Amino acid sequence: MDLVRRTIERYVRLTENDWARIAPCWREYAFTRGAHIVRAGGVEDRFYIVKSGVQRMSFPHDGEDICVGFSYDGSWSGGYDSFVTRRPGRFDVRAVTDSVLLGIGHDDLQRLYAEVPVMERFGRLILEELLVGRAAREIELLSLDAEERYDRLFKRSPHLLQLVPQKDIASYLRMKPETFSRLRGRRS
Amino acid sequence: MRTVELIDDLSAVLREQMARARAVKALPSEALLHRPAPEQWNALEILEHLNLSSGIYVRGLEKVFAERAAALPFNPAFRPGVLGGLFTRSMAPRPDGSIPNRMRTFRRMDPPKVGGASLESIDRFIDHCTRMLALLERARSTDLDRMKVASSLGPVIRFKAGDAFRFPVGHQQRHFLQLERVLAAAADQRTTTSRWAPCAVRTV
Repeated sequence: MDLVRRTIERYVRLTENDWARIAPCWREYAFTRGAHIVRAGGVEDRFYIVKSGVQRMSFPHDGEDICVGFSYDGSWSGGYDSFVTRRPGRFDVRAVTDSVLLGIGHDDLQRLYAEVPVMERFGRLILEELLVGRAAREIELLSLDAEERYDRLFKRSPHLLQLVPQKDIASYLRMKPETFSRLRGRRS
Repeated sequence: MRTVELIDDLSAVLREQMARARAVKALPSEALLHRPAPEQWNALEILEHLNLSSGIYVRGLEKVFAERAAALPFNPAFRPGVLGGLFTRSMAPRPDGSIPNRMRTFRRMDPPKVGGASLESIDRFIDHCTRMLALLERARSTDLDRMKVASSLGPVIRFKAGDAFRFPVGHQQRHFLQLERVLAAAADQRTTTSRWAPCAVRTV
């Protein structure tokens, strides 16, 4: 639970009183490697902070599984679109390695937004952060070539290659696995 | 064997397993995910494996009970089938707790290869046990010798209804021994960690 508090306090300061209301809303969930954390087509009821493990977010398209991102220690995870809209989501989230996530239910989070003022500020700040992240990724995908995307990713997350299968990273970078391994060979 | 005794024995084992599964659900995530070796199952995968296997019998029994059980009079004796008896004997642990033989797992029942496992696996396991217990109650007024169910070994091998209870319960017993071993190893690792590095242990 320390992790939840530390994560929230990256954005806002909590009083002991705030924390006493927030803490009971979070629960721990364990997933083994390969497990679905979120299923495309289902309505997602939880929003997660990653305690351990690596997760992979993707969506099915044309018989392929297109990887849109990864989450790991201390980052957010879950099907955020569906969590917000309360409609069937388009994303799958699966555990790449054994994972422990701390989750909060939609109703609990809404109640905290209403009852603990600083939590609403927290909610706004993480949304802003997610939005900025999406914008940066969109620019990356539209303006950089394969090689630049590869370099950018490994500058940002050099540990990823040890944690995630190459084909998932290739899909995330929107390149063929062959292109990916060629680039990798050239870099090492 | 006497049908009533069979039902009572299997029900007692299932109740024990359910109680244990409920207790396991309350364990810390690190214990539930602990692997004795990188390629060996953790506790959640063991329970999910049981769901994949026992689920076939639960659904098969529910179907055949719905179609035929009411029309059959109670049969006080159950005689295991040739294959059902053979496979059940090779599956269930011996009275001394040893395992008759090691077996290879079908790929389709190997959780890391078919969708993983989570806390929900424990809920599904408890649900399967509950449904099997309900079927065992209905078995007190029908004939377990005259209904047949497709086995988990493939639809070609069909077990008598009595064996379709005995096999999964024995299979579960076998894997509960493994479950206890894995959880004991997880607990061992935790106490060693706390003895040598108390600051590394975090209570949630």
